[in-house]
Amino acid sequence: MDVLLQQLVNGLSLGGIYALIALGYTMVYGIIELINFAHGDVYALGTFFSLLILSLLGVTGIVTGPMLVVVVLVTILGAMLLCGITGVLIERLAYRRLRNAPRLAPLITAIGMSFILQNLMQYWHGPSPVPFPDVFPNPTFAAGAVAIQMKQIIVILLAVVMMFALQQFVYRTRLGKAMRATAQDKDAAQLMGIDINTTIAVTFLIGSALAGAAGFVSGVYYGSAWAFNGFSAGLKAFTAAVLGGIGNLAGAMLGGFLIGLIEAMTTQLISDQWSNVVVFSVLVLVLIFRPSGLLGESLPTKV
Amino acid sequence: MGAPRARAKLTSPAVLIAAVRRGGLAQAIALFALAIVLPFVFPSGAFVNFLADAGAFVLLALGLNIVIGFAGLLDLGYAAFFAIGSYAFAMLASPQFGIHLPFWVLLFLASGIAALFGILLGAPTLRLRGDYLAIVTLGFGEIVPQTFLNLSQWTGGPNGIGSLDQPTIGAYKFGFNALPYYLMILALIALAVWVANNLRHSRLGRAWMAIREDELAAAHMGINTTATKLAAFAMGASFSGLAGCAYAAKLQLVSPDQFGFNVSVGLISMLVLGGMGNVPGVILGAIVISSLDRYILPQGTNFFHSIGMTGVDLTGSRFLIYGLILVMMMLFRPEGLLPSRQRKAELRGAAGDPGVAGQEAALYTEAVK
Amino acid sequence: MRLSKFTRVAGALALAAALAACSNTTTTTTSSSGGGAAGGTIKIGVDLPVSGADASIGIPTQNGAVLAVEEAAKNGFAGGKFKLDTSLLDDAVQGKHDPAAGAQNVKTFIADSSVLAMVGPFNSNVAKSEIPLTNDAGLVQISPSNTNDGLTVGDDAKKLRTAHPDTNAYFRVCTRDSRQGAALAQFSQKLGFKKVFIIDDNETYGKGLADVYEASIKAQGNTVLGHEHVTANQQDFKALLTKVKSQNPDAVFFGGTTSTGGGLVRRQMGDVGIGNTPFVGGDGISDDEFIKVAGTMANGTYYSFAAPEASKLPSAQSFIAAYKARFKSDVGPYSANSYTAAKIEIAAIEKAIADAGGKMPTRADVLKNVAATKDFDSPIGKVGFDANGDTTAPTLTLKKIAGGKAIFVDQITLKS
Repeated sequence: MDVLLQQLVNGLSLGGIYALIALGYTMVYGIIELINFAHGDVYALGTFFSLLILSLLGVTGIVTGPMLVVVVLVTILGAMLLCGITGVLIERLAYRRLRNAPRLAPLITAIGMSFILQNLMQYWHGPSPVPFPDVFPNPTFAAGAVAIQMKQIIVILLAVVMMFALQQFVYRTRLGKAMRATAQDKDAAQLMGIDINTTIAVTFLIGSALAGAAGFVSGVYYGSAWAFNGFSAGLKAFTAAVLGGIGNLAGAMLGGFLIGLIEAMTTQLISDQWSNVVVFSVLVLVLIFRPSGLLGESLPTKV
Repeated sequence: MGAPRARAKLTSPAVLIAAVRRGGLAQAIALFALAIVLPFVFPSGAFVNFLADAGAFVLLALGLNIVIGFAGLLDLGYAAFFAIGSYAFAMLASPQFGIHLPFWVLLFLASGIAALFGILLGAPTLRLRGDYLAIVTLGFGEIVPQTFLNLSQWTGGPNGIGSLDQPTIGAYKFGFNALPYYLMILALIALAVWVANNLRHSRLGRAWMAIREDELAAAHMGINTTATKLAAFAMGASFSGLAGCAYAAKLQLVSPDQFGFNVSVGLISMLVLGGMGNVPGVILGAIVISSLDRYILPQGTNFFHSIGMTGVDLTGSRFLIYGLILVMMMLFRPEGLLPSRQRKAELRGAAGDPGVAGQEAALYTEAVK
Repeated sequence: MRLSKFTRVAGALALAAALAACSNTTTTTTSSSGGGAAGGTIKIGVDLPVSGADASIGIPTQNGAVLAVEEAAKNGFAGGKFKLDTSLLDDAVQGKHDPAAGAQNVKTFIADSSVLAMVGPFNSNVAKSEIPLTNDAGLVQISPSNTNDGLTVGDDAKKLRTAHPDTNAYFRVCTRDSRQGAALAQFSQKLGFKKVFIIDDNETYGKGLADVYEASIKAQGNTVLGHEHVTANQQDFKALLTKVKSQNPDAVFFGGTTSTGGGLVRRQMGDVGIGNTPFVGGDGISDDEFIKVAGTMANGTYYSFAAPEASKLPSAQSFIAAYKARFKSDVGPYSANSYTAAKIEIAAIEKAIADAGGKMPTRADVLKNVAATKDFDSPIGKVGFDANGDTTAPTLTLKKIAGGKAIFVDQITLKS
């Protein structure tokens, strides 16, 4: 039983990272109905950007005291900014022209972008995992027989905080309203005077920034940055977004945590080598039996 | 103006060349003859080996073309069918289970097994829209090779299955020379092209075109979309069964890391580059990408190494090049390198720019003979 | 200028053909080597994964062979009668070693009549596609690093040699999995590990080694608590390691390499709370990369390495110095192996030239000489081959990582 509880914690931490990535996926899909394959690689890029900033700051191990707050803020905001810019650039260069093309075109372009990003990261840091500094002191808290690390708490907290912040943004600000309007009906929104180019660009900015935050957190949590992380994590994060209900922010977070739990539990109860198969099977099953996801609305097909 | 003069005209070289340029059967035969002659003009063992490998990928691309190009079903996990075809052959023609079915029987048996799985894996996608269908097929593309890897008792795990039976014709055994494999693959390609062309001009082909253009309207016109889509998956997968057999027999080995996402994306790149839905285009795309992957990049790297620039590594940039091809093609020439002449004339017009509508139509190019 | 379809497809075929003509392959499709002529170039083919994820270990290995050839060429190979060169090919496709690419490369070597011997491949599954080809062509092949048993012994090995069942053209200068795994198990027992948990990367080398280790541990009467496989590109091992922790092992064994998860698994053992549990592995984690990736957690790792300890052999010292001077970087774990493999082939070729009276020898001559290798002096000790192509009297070094550095622990010379 203790082991299962421990795996629960593991699963939620892993899920927190998936949730952060899934938020970006769901936002972009909600607004332009594009599965941005490159999003997972922006996440991996976020880890590398964080590494860059940390090395510029001279951080190689654990940071203590008030300096910790400064370092973390600078790094995470820096990574988010850089990733956000990357996302906007990708949208501008590759996806904008294809906005009205049939689904196939931007999807294939996204796959192409994903490959390009992976290769660029490989040129930058090589094809093997690169060590990432600990940054946070990592005391372990015992709750009964379950041990929770500081890093795990940070991951989970960050995911929840980001989601709430995002929800506030989308439902309380003008820009957020513009995003919702564009997601509902692009042409009508345009007719209402909303600049959809800017709105979409902002969507990519925020989505990619979240991926950047996930990248920083992942670097801290796993102690490594890796060019090949992005694809697999991205795919599972998309699964999470679909599971929760695509276009639904709370759904993306819920889905992320669920997928993390499923992975951890499969590893514990069956074996590690089947965990990917189970996750992707969940994807298939959800899409067959409940394509609108857990929190999504069932939209009737309009003729 | 009598018969003798007409006969003379028919066989003069100018007339033959004109007939070939016009397209159709004459062109196909000419290209085919060229392909047969090629390994005798350049008998290098490595080159013929490359030709045989490229041929297998042409076959795979033709199969994927039926699913994506004809029926408009975006399949991102086609490598799964390649795996199924290859493993089916390997399990039934090797020391693994001690079963040794004759190769020519297996060729069509594996094709049938792959087709069956095409239906099984296609069935869950029937109600799904474009991108969701893509994601589900991507999911299967991950599930299938991992499953083959995990079930190591039957599939040999990471070692795969080796020492596969080589094909024999009567007393002649294929052996290690790539030439007979290449000729066999050429024959399979000819068969595939013939089948694909016939299908396209049949009722089924028109049904595929209909659901590709507008599935809802097609259903309302009385087309059984379920059967039509399943047929597309089955036919497409059957080609991969043929390719899987031929490729595995030649390599003498089947292992799970041959069937990753890279292979699926590579095949899609071939279609995008060459022209989706257009059989000659797909063949061209497959040849170009295979050459790039297995010949141009490695030989280019060796060339740089031989002149002392040992730091150059073109093969490592493979992903980058694939990615750039996909992005550039989609942005600037979505109809592919070889769209049909009629479509291109429709779309390009005087201005030369395909425009939004043109792009939309261009993606659903078909060669009109 | 609009090209018709015909022209374009024909053009593509012609382009491919032209490239074939430009490459340095010759015109024969069957294997035949010179035989008879005097003078000319002799090449040693090298087939290793030198791009992508395997490059960090593949390139230093390739460098070892290159160094051997350059030294021989400088020191008057065959009395200057022939020029000695290498033909370097890469068997990695999309960043990973690929059996089809390996087969293609071997066919290139076979077609090139100036190639009289080859070094490689690195990976056991690539070897499976190459051995039938070199067996058929009679081209001698020495691998610096293949460890899978089935390449030289047992039914599997026989099935790879169907073209010429009585000839063996494949040799290796490293130790088989069955020997390395058994040695590691022996060593584990010495260290008092009675209950072990085994993890492997589900690849040919890693799983092979892990399976042998498991069988050996059980044969000793000790317990294997579990045997799990990780997936490619996996980053999160915490769930798996939590499961491992719950079983309370004396040690954790990893079959695989640093790049397939060895480094990350060790690092995350600390996160999960079993950082003090010893970590055991084979030569796959014997590189500096492992220490880098595992960080401070690298300490407490034991691994085996299939060659004698370099610091105890003068020939190893001079090799390391020469390598550093030539390539301006440290040797890789297999550089000495490929250097030795190339040197053995060079010696065999020189002898064959002498026996042929200064004329170009045949591949069969070279093969015969390689097979007869006994007590060959090299940076990895004295090397000889048995009838199967394995090394006679292999030496295994056992090391431990402490204070961020690898420390010599023990050396075993197996009786074969």
